[in-house]
Amino acid sequence: MKSIINMIGVLSLLCAVAGFGLAYLKQNTALPIENQLLTYVQGPAILKVFQGIENSPIDDRKSFKLENGKSVNIFPAFKNGELVGVAIEGFGQGYGGSIGVISGFDIKNDALVSIGITTMRETPGLGTVIANDPFTKMFVGKALPVTLKKDGGEIDAVSGATISSQGAVLAVAEAGSIYNALKAQIIKTWKDGDNNEFLQGIHQRVVE
Amino acid sequence: MSFYKEFTKGLWNELPPFRLLLGLCPVLAVTKSAQNGLGMGVAVLFVLLLSNIIVSLVRDIIPKKVRIACFVTISATLVVAVELLMQAYTYPLYQQLGIFVPLIVVNCIILGRAEAFAAKNPVYLAVADGLGMGIGFTLSLTFLGSLREIIGAGTFFGVPVFGEYYQPFTMMIEAPGAFICLGCILGFMNYLNRIQSRRKGLAAHKNPTVCGSTCAQCGGCSKANLS
Repeated sequence: MKSIINMIGVLSLLCAVAGFGLAYLKQNTALPIENQLLTYVQGPAILKVFQGIENSPIDDRKSFKLENGKSVNIFPAFKNGELVGVAIEGFGQGYGGSIGVISGFDIKNDALVSIGITTMRETPGLGTVIANDPFTKMFVGKALPVTLKKDGGEIDAVSGATISSQGAVLAVAEAGSIYNALKAQIIKTWKDGDNNEFLQGIHQRVVE
Repeated sequence: MSFYKEFTKGLWNELPPFRLLLGLCPVLAVTKSAQNGLGMGVAVLFVLLLSNIIVSLVRDIIPKKVRIACFVTISATLVVAVELLMQAYTYPLYQQLGIFVPLIVVNCIILGRAEAFAAKNPVYLAVADGLGMGIGFTLSLTFLGSLREIIGAGTFFGVPVFGEYYQPFTMMIEAPGAFICLGCILGFMNYLNRIQSRRKGLAAHKNPTVCGSTCAQCGGCSKANLS
């Protein structure tokens, strides 16, 4: 009996120390990890989505609060000193965890500009195919909401990776709902108002 | 049992991937370039050293029956820590190594050294063992990675080593290249050993992985008839 208590005690103690240690580390690395993600994951995806823009969506990003209290980063894209679109990251449940997708929205006609996959843990060679051009190209110019062909939509699921494709579509849908919820605020922040400090900065940069 | 002896055994006599043939999964999979090999090696070195130290420190309070669970908890914690640190400071490397970083938990070197060495020896010897094995592993991975990168891509740590006329032998940075390189290295190391023992006037090793020591020092054991 004593040895059993001893075993349970030692294991619990070890796990408790490990848990607290990791929680502390996780808290302290959250900020650097976010910055690294912006530089190496979301940055390239956003630049792929919006080609030929003149600002840096990463540097100009702004955090917005949703109704449920969550905050999301929104990345604006400017062309000729005008807001042409915003990129929003959404997540959808895939085969191996959630899939992160950057969706670019055209601010004029509320359609998708393009999408780029940021994070995923899909099966290499099967699910990861959703990051390639043939799949992501299908989203170009589509109006919201997008759905898979089997649900009556226009997106062809990658064969052998229906769940991954569904995950990507869900992620786009999530970004779409965020876009719809925040559209008024987005336009207010980046488009309207001549005395908007941020816009003046953009104009100045364009002139230079 | 000296610090020096425990340290150096991991560098040649018990070199993990090439002499003990332990931890071959990352050895074959991530050594596409010297940089990846080095990064993976350093991650393993870090985990191995710390897990050896911690296991050695708590070796007297861990009940024998749950020791494996304790060792796995310790190494898993360290691996998650490495994963977080890698994501925070060397993200491109993390992207390259991918799934192989979490898999360090089940790398047999970590558990093997904890069970076979750190759980039975004082901390300073465990440090020597972890450092030696870890550095041996890192050097082996970097060596294999450089070899494959130089032949397969014509670069070394990303710097071109041949002129523009060099046609990269791409197969070497794919999976078959790893097996070919590993086989050649193992053959070469056995050849070196044979020369070494012949020079000392000893009979050649028949199976150096069984004891990993020179036959003259071997007092014979239950494993002897395996060779």
